[in-house]
Amino acid sequence: MRRAAAAATFKKHLAPDDIVVCGLGSTRRAWAEAGAPQLTYNGSDPMGTAPALALGLALAQPRRRIVLLEGDGDLTMNLGALVTLAGAAPSNLRIAVFINDRYETGGGQPLPNAGRVSYTQIAGAAGFPWTGEAHDEAQLDKLVPALLQRDGEPPSLGLLALHVDPEASPYPADPGPTTQYQDRAAFQKRLHG
Amino acid sequence: MSEPGAASAERVVKALVAAKVEVAASLPDSWLAPVLARIDAEPKIRHIRVGREDDAVGIAAGCALGGKRAAVVCQNAGVLLSANALAGYAHNHQLGFLVLAVYRGLEDDRFHYQKYKGLVTEGVLAGLRIPYRVLTRADELDTIASAVDEAREKPMVLLLRHSALFPAAG
Repeated sequence: MRRAAAAATFKKHLAPDDIVVCGLGSTRRAWAEAGAPQLTYNGSDPMGTAPALALGLALAQPRRRIVLLEGDGDLTMNLGALVTLAGAAPSNLRIAVFINDRYETGGGQPLPNAGRVSYTQIAGAAGFPWTGEAHDEAQLDKLVPALLQRDGEPPSLGLLALHVDPEASPYPADPGPTTQYQDRAAFQKRLHG
Repeated sequence: MSEPGAASAERVVKALVAAKVEVAASLPDSWLAPVLARIDAEPKIRHIRVGREDDAVGIAAGCALGGKRAAVVCQNAGVLLSANALAGYAHNHQLGFLVLAVYRGLEDDRFHYQKYKGLVTEGVLAGLRIPYRVLTRADELDTIASAVDEAREKPMVLLLRHSALFPAAG
């Protein structure tokens, strides 16, 4: 599955008032390239803290659904965050982990134990009430709605692991016209009106 | 007779509530036990237990991003562990929140394995360019509320000495 196709699937299923938090690197760029209308915050840097940042945002905005689009490299840096998230169990937080088994932006170096880690089993063992895993676009198209809302069940924390192809995604030549704190201020302005 | 540290714990939580702190993310230390028990009993504060202190920093930053006030409650080891997260949210995102860290490793701490933390904590905070204050007396705990107000676009760290948390111990 191409990253762009995965990002487009989320764009298709997310509600207009969902808030997206992106982890590092290629996942963030794929979501940006999808041109989705949802209010989005890019969590990097510091690396490894995007799940906690998304949890804090979910606690602060209980009426909004927060969707974290995370990379496997960022999550691997701090897998223990899954235990913290499961303990807090916010019903308005969902996590999607883009798995390509490598540090794409850093040059494609493999993650530790690449290809043999099950993020759904780790999340389930940490206490996540729902996990799912998609290997292709058809599976993803079914599982994103399940991640967001299971029919007949109360909303709950969930983690969806999706396998994407390795695709070169080097640092952009230009970091962009705005700084992180300018982006933060713009995000808050849109959030609070 | 109340439990040791109960009066200071009451002061800490009263100040947090006065400052409209609604989330506390913590990792325990033995010196923090009365404070954490009091936070658990406080209905106006949601207590989130973390596995690493930089998760607490991320949670507090996310709360700040979303417009809610939060505090990190930990030992100064958590400040050291969270150096990158604190610096990133201070200088890259410019998000503010309070960090309450018990200050282990000074002359009032008889545990030799804590000493290195006393040696390096303030130097690390200065190097990170994170503002901090050391609270030595129990009455200084009342300044927690104003410290929350100061933490607008940068974390503010309060290092809590044993004498502030357990004044009767001398």
